Amino acid sequence: MNQISRRVPLVDGVAKVTGALRFTADLDVEGLLHCALVFSPHPHARVASIDAASALAVKGVHAVFWHENTPARYYNSSIWFAGQEALADERMFAPIVRHVGDRVAAVVADTEEIARLAAKLVAVEYVSLPAIFDPEAALLHAGLAMREDGTPTFMNPVAYESFVRGDTEAGFAAAELVVETHITTPRSHHCAVEPHACIAKPEPDGRIGILSPCQSVFAVQAVVVQALGVPQEQIRVTKTPIGGSFGGKAEPILDPLCAFFALALGRPVMIRYDRHETFTATRTRSSVMGRMRLGLSSDGRILARETETLVDFGAYCTGGDYLPSSMLQRLVRLYDVPAERYRGRAVYTNTVPAGAFRGYGSPQIHTVAEITLDIAARRLGIDPVAMRLRNLVGPGAIEPWQGLDVGNARGRECLVRGADAFEWEARRQMGTGRGRWRRGIGVASATHINGCYPGFHEETTATLKLLPDGRAELVCALHDLGCGADTTLAQIAGETLGLRACDIAIVPADTDTCPYDLGTRASRMTYICGEAIRRAGVALAEAIRAAAVLELNTEAAGLRLEAGAVRRQDGSGLALSDLADRLVARGVELPAATETYRAQANPGSYAAHFAEVEVDRLTGCVRVTDYLAAHDVGRAINPMLVEGQIHGGIQIGIGYALYEDVALDRITGVMRGNSFSRYTLANASEMPPMRVVLIEEGEPTGPFGAKAVGEIATIPVAAAVVNAVNDALATELTHLPLVPERILAALG
Amino acid sequence: MTALAVVAPVDIAALRATLAAEAGPVRFIAGGTDMLIAGRPLAGTGLLVDLARVAGMAFISTDDADVRIGGATTVAALAADCGLRARIPALCEAAGQCGSVQIRNRATIGGNIANAAPAADLMPVLAAAGTRLALLKNDGTQYEAALCEYLPDSGHLIMEVILPGNALLPCSAFVKLGPRRDLTISRLNLAMLAEFQNSHFGTVRIAAGALGPVPLRMHLADAALGGRKLEPATLREFLSALATEVDAAIPGRNSQIYKRRAVAGLGLDLIAQAVGLSPRDRLFEEAVE
Ligand SMILES: Cc1cc2nc3c(=O)[nH]c(=O)nc-3n(C[C@H](O)[C@H](O)[C@H](O)COP(=O)(O)OP(=O)(O)OC[C@H]3O[C@@H](n4cnc5c(N)ncnc54)[C@H](O)[C@@H]3O)c2cc1C
Repeated sequence: MNQISRRVPLVDGVAKVTGALRFTADLDVEGLLHCALVFSPHPHARVASIDAASALAVKGVHAVFWHENTPARYYNSSIWFAGQEALADERMFAPIVRHVGDRVAAVVADTEEIARLAAKLVAVEYVSLPAIFDPEAALLHAGLAMREDGTPTFMNPVAYESFVRGDTEAGFAAAELVVETHITTPRSHHCAVEPHACIAKPEPDGRIGILSPCQSVFAVQAVVVQALGVPQEQIRVTKTPIGGSFGGKAEPILDPLCAFFALALGRPVMIRYDRHETFTATRTRSSVMGRMRLGLSSDGRILARETETLVDFGAYCTGGDYLPSSMLQRLVRLYDVPAERYRGRAVYTNTVPAGAFRGYGSPQIHTVAEITLDIAARRLGIDPVAMRLRNLVGPGAIEPWQGLDVGNARGRECLVRGADAFEWEARRQMGTGRGRWRRGIGVASATHINGCYPGFHEETTATLKLLPDGRAELVCALHDLGCGADTTLAQIAGETLGLRACDIAIVPADTDTCPYDLGTRASRMTYICGEAIRRAGVALAEAIRAAAVLELNTEAAGLRLEAGAVRRQDGSGLALSDLADRLVARGVELPAATETYRAQANPGSYAAHFAEVEVDRLTGCVRVTDYLAAHDVGRAINPMLVEGQIHGGIQIGIGYALYEDVALDRITGVMRGNSFSRYTLANASEMPPMRVVLIEEGEPTGPFGAKAVGEIATIPVAAAVVNAVNDALATELTHLPLVPERILAALG
Repeated sequence: MTALAVVAPVDIAALRATLAAEAGPVRFIAGGTDMLIAGRPLAGTGLLVDLARVAGMAFISTDDADVRIGGATTVAALAADCGLRARIPALCEAAGQCGSVQIRNRATIGGNIANAAPAADLMPVLAAAGTRLALLKNDGTQYEAALCEYLPDSGHLIMEVILPGNALLPCSAFVKLGPRRDLTISRLNLAMLAEFQNSHFGTVRIAAGALGPVPLRMHLADAALGGRKLEPATLREFLSALATEVDAAIPGRNSQIYKRRAVAGLGLDLIAQAVGLSPRDRLFEEAVE
């Protein structure tokens, strides 16, 4: 093995740290105009009038846009292919604003400074409308979400998912213990280093080119086409380097506006949000109210489970209607539950829209389930690790909802080896201590998906081509979000071709030059794109060997690709660059291979996380003092990047458990956590020592046995930390985040 | 519209000359860590005087009876100064807990005082130490005022921060409580100067931040400790005094319920630091059992 299981540095790492890499807002585009938006200060209001005269009078202002002079077309910013059915309820600018921070108008000017100044001069009159902030109250605003003519009603619930398996009543009747919980998870924000930005520019051929730090160029194209009502060919999207996303840039928020302004003005336009706008006018994680009822036998077997979830996705649906079913999908592939009943609903409220965020519903549902399980374990007096082992699914299990095979599921190994490395038993014996500071330990298991199979044409196409210099070019609509996917995928390609990761030239995702791909979502990069690339690599290697047969006057069978050369069995051979030279000299096209891979499975990735905390009973402050994460990754293509994903996942999860909440005011709808001074993240000094245990048992359907780690890394964290706090204090805290006030209140 | 003019005097003479020559409004900028952060519009006109490069405005003098600190001294310099640590460790402690390394390298003591944030971390220490300020008016007159008399809106320049020697006490401490431990704005902070010998407190002065617009001197808490032996009973009285002070300072506020309880933990940490014990010492456990 040349590239696999190696700690290869990021292929774009040097360019990033030296500043050579240009992010969208740093790009030099000739004649670029800048834009500033006007946002609603009201949670729900009719825009009675807009007077743009003063703004237009400012020197350097080119135009002011609002609902009367922009397309009145409804769209859904979460679609990822043209024509995808989704509740279309957004408009570029609507005559009714639905959350504080909703878009009202935009000023386009020579400079951002002028645009921002003029935006303050746009005079808007509002007529306030009643607003709903509470998801349970939102259920009372009941009705069909869409009228027959396709206009949205903003009535609830928007989504409803239910599932029944087995006889839950019998299960509860037979149970030794029945536990009921009510758990709430907060609205957290992505906090990517790079705020949202987009550039759109008219091309000489009448098209609009969009430069977007996005998760799918095809999704951007589909949304822009839907919003503008232009033909798909008219929109070209190129992915720019991205300074973090975590799902926050999965939905094109600025792109439709930017494209329209460029089209209307015939000039390139950039919109970039500042930090405050990125908080208040993009997306958050949806909050979930979960109620769970768990029936258990005396030895900790789950006999029956009833789950009810209520998702608050804010002012616009985006992908929120998928959440109840996504959560169900992830819930049922962790434990073997003989009798299950699930009901999930999703509602509108007059708050900032929710959207994709690392794990897409999984952190919410596993937080609900894993906290409940721990409360049950404590009440039954059973070790929470033992209880989980009693119920976890194993390799080859068929999950009951979609009937999918969970693959080489190694959740048990995660628990067993993780508990061992964490010295779980010994720590449990130590107890919580007495007095002001209490120590506790917590565990949580989790699972997540690998790609979108069986839905949404889960397939991708990769082309690998030998370059004249002996390297290879990879075309596959890849969207590295900063997590290192490009590096991992280059390692896979390199492995098949006897090249290094840095020898693989990755063509940026572009709707003109790349075949369709769903984009970076659903933990599919390594598992799906990686397999397509591996197959293309194997095919290219074959083509290279075939081409070398003539040059080396030998049989293809004996040739191998190694260290940038094609070699005979005795080690003699030809550098790939020399081979390319000879082929070019003979006028032969350089070998290339294209493979389309359509997913056949959707195995689970599994994890078990272990946290130790110390809680100050006087101040309510929690410190995570030690952490261990065990992950079933099939095979770590790049252990360093896998560990990096896990470390980052722990950071997000600790914040989710203890601090993070955009804190929407229940009376005004105003976001209080709208800046880094008011929104607390776990920073470096809050981070505990972290250890990672990798379980590498190989997933037969994954490239070189690999499965996903990107999203699952953050999924069990919050529950592990909350469970540790509950262990330390003998409490049953269930409302996240566990801010000191909540902790002191629970202590009475 | 006349644009904002910026000058960076090189020394105090040049600074005085600049001020004397300016008829219009004058503003000062030192580290800029309060002034330049996003969301706060800078004035568009007038004169902005940069204090960061004025020779002679950044110094720490601890050899004489009074401790004197130049108004443009950085928080990082305060945190690292051994002479200061010997005279009033609480100020070094408070400085060391301000913001992050980057912030401390820019932030100044003058800025912390003039910005007058309720949560400013240097303020309770300065308040407990009976600090006086040497101030300069635009017309060139210099005068001294007690910290509590200084009006941030006056626009008068803080030239020096003076900790009168006769008010300094041998022990001191500073503790803060924020949403996280590092790079965090205080939700509550406490400073203490005290005499402590043979397990007994002598004079004690305590001040709290983030309980009102200006630091709160906590006289009930002073009295609960002053002249008393350090023992669980004393500590219990001290904690109850702290809660009473919090109740009186922020009655009916949302944060009152939390702060009146959390102040107990912070109060014990304060004493532990002042007398050089671990907050995990049995003594403190007994006090809250
Ligand atoms: C990320 C971050 C974290 C922070 N964390 C903390 C913290 O933990 N604790 C804390 O206390 N503060 C904190 N602060 C606030 C800030 O750093 C301090 O208040 C700092 O001491 C301000 O000093 P400065 O020199 O930067 O002030 P500047 O921003 O330069 O000035 C602030 C104000 O003071 C005036 N001014 C400055 N110097 C003088 C002078 N000599 N005479 C008269 N007026 C003057 C200015 O005109 C201005 O009005 C933080 C700030 C940031 C951005």
